[in-house]
Amino acid sequence: MFLLLPFDSLVVNLLGISITVLFTLLLVFIIVPAIFGVSFGIRKVYMKTLLKIFQWATLRIERGAKEKNHPLYKPYVNGIIAKEPTSLEEEIKEIRRSGSGKALETPEFELSDIFYFCRKGIETIMDDEVTKRFSAEELESWNLLSRTNYNFQYISLRLTVLWGLGVLIRYCFLLPLRIALAFTGISLLVTGTTVVGYLPNGRCKEFLSKHVHLMCYRICVRALTAIITYHDRENRPRNGGICVANHTSPIDVIILASDGYYAMVGQIHGGLMGVIQRAMVKACPHVWFERSEVKDRHLVARRLTEHVQDKSKLPILIFPEGTCINNTSVMMFKKGSFEIGATVYPVAIKYDPQFGDAFWNSSKYGMVTYLLRMMTSWAIVCSVWYLPPMTRQPEEDAVQFANRVKSAIARQGGLVDLLWDGGLKREKVKDTFKEEQQKLYSKMIVGNHEDRSRS
Amino acid sequence: AGCSQCPGTPLSPLSSPPTVTSEQIEHLHRRFKQLSRDQLTIRKENFDSIPDLEFNPIRGKIVHAFFDKRNLQPESDGLADEINFEDFLTIMSYFRPIEMNMDEEQLDRFRKEKLKFLFHMYDSDHDGKITLQEYRNVVEELLSGNPHLEKESARSIADGAMMEAASICVGQMGPDQVYEGITFEDFLKMWQGIDIETKMHVRFLNMETIAHCY
Repeated sequence: MFLLLPFDSLVVNLLGISITVLFTLLLVFIIVPAIFGVSFGIRKVYMKTLLKIFQWATLRIERGAKEKNHPLYKPYVNGIIAKEPTSLEEEIKEIRRSGSGKALETPEFELSDIFYFCRKGIETIMDDEVTKRFSAEELESWNLLSRTNYNFQYISLRLTVLWGLGVLIRYCFLLPLRIALAFTGISLLVTGTTVVGYLPNGRCKEFLSKHVHLMCYRICVRALTAIITYHDRENRPRNGGICVANHTSPIDVIILASDGYYAMVGQIHGGLMGVIQRAMVKACPHVWFERSEVKDRHLVARRLTEHVQDKSKLPILIFPEGTCINNTSVMMFKKGSFEIGATVYPVAIKYDPQFGDAFWNSSKYGMVTYLLRMMTSWAIVCSVWYLPPMTRQPEEDAVQFANRVKSAIARQGGLVDLLWDGGLKREKVKDTFKEEQQKLYSKMIVGNHEDRSRS
Repeated sequence: AGCSQCPGTPLSPLSSPPTVTSEQIEHLHRRFKQLSRDQLTIRKENFDSIPDLEFNPIRGKIVHAFFDKRNLQPESDGLADEINFEDFLTIMSYFRPIEMNMDEEQLDRFRKEKLKFLFHMYDSDHDGKITLQEYRNVVEELLSGNPHLEKESARSIADGAMMEAASICVGQMGPDQVYEGITFEDFLKMWQGIDIETKMHVRFLNMETIAHCY
């Protein structure tokens, strides 16, 4: 045993030194810049290097696939059916015209009318717009994450080695680093806000609270290796306004809150989330609701209105879609936030899926699995655009205003603007939509029927 | 990604040469798996997960057509509880577009098959005739969305259309002659000279040209 002692102490010393070095590096290169909001640019260099490697990997796969004659790219997923861009009325007129050649001023019900609906029905069964929004986007190049390439086959030794190296780096080096950072960030947030909460209300408290929040969110951003580009920062939300953004994952909150000081709105959770929420509200007036209160729309609206009317209070951050969408489109905005009557500051967030898919498919993965997936991706790269503020015009109602904001966000982010409700992830279509189509068709037939009987 | 359930010729009732490429079949297979939630068969409830389909007033009849055994196998009858991928493809094949190289006989058979599919949609009690009640039923479904429409109006529209059908099929009827219903031969007669093939098909996007763009 005594013979092992010097060896033991050597190992212990080495371990001690390496841990100290690691933590010093962590502190100097990551945490300190986060506190002051500056950046060494390490992440950008990292991103460029990764891109070069991905390009090489993709070229290699293409070459390999050509040699083996494999079909490589998944066919264009934006629809597999050639749909006619004509409306219901035009189509039915055409069907009838090609049918009986009768005068078109006396439209009555014809057997052939059923063709149009039959064909439309079969077309939607083959392929529909909504269901494909709720599964993750498929990539055309390969980013060395086997989870994004469904066609991965063995191509060459070098590629496999590279992939293996990638796995090693991500799981054994990046993951522990990120977990350590996340831990630091969250504990600093909880302790920092609790401490600030003991101070008397005033300018000092506000100043400290703002900086504690910003610092901790910046540490969390680095914990995910999120590389964010902010555009048009002069349009950032101001006090007394509401900030709305499209929703792809819970990370959206961290991304936005690390660049601005917002009041959050949400439901109180249990567990770790609940602890964080309760600590945060001590330092700054966030709006948290109990689970029972969430159902009461009037209560929610009243509290939000109260908050917004106080001009000294912070801008509220809201995600009106109500659920996570896979970042290829923007779905219907719930009108609640648009009825309050405050200035709306729209924000568009678009993720670059090459480095890691940020979409949270809540039916497939729980929160913990999702966070692990995020922390073992290469990086989260996204762009944030701050759009100019919008207010509700006198002649439009809340729904129209919501749609106008939604279109602006979709256009800026390059996303598809859809009329459908994000709630369709879990529920069925409301009957009101179905009735619209039927009304149109029956108006065509009966409206003219009535005209004739009148004359 | 192989199509492990595809038999040699999945397009059985329409025995003309298959005009769907293997890639399109793969697409349909993926769609089938999505609808069936990775099971081997689909039931009626699985069609509830298509929001766009709710728009369609004759949704019930379309879904029913998938499970109607008269469409799945020639000379059979009744309703199936669940269908597999082969059945799914069979129904889809009623909506194939016409090919340039089809001869007269093939075109005629093609047309008859499509019209038969439609006939089965109208004839909901499987007795081989479209009665006045069944016709009314279809019209009411198509016009059901309009709350201002009286049931009587829908009925009178159906009756008017039925009378016209009778006049085409039977000619002038005596005062006490009763028109039983439209049989399939009468149905064919009504569509004579009318080009339906171009209206009752679904065209796939041409995949190859798009993939090579990268």
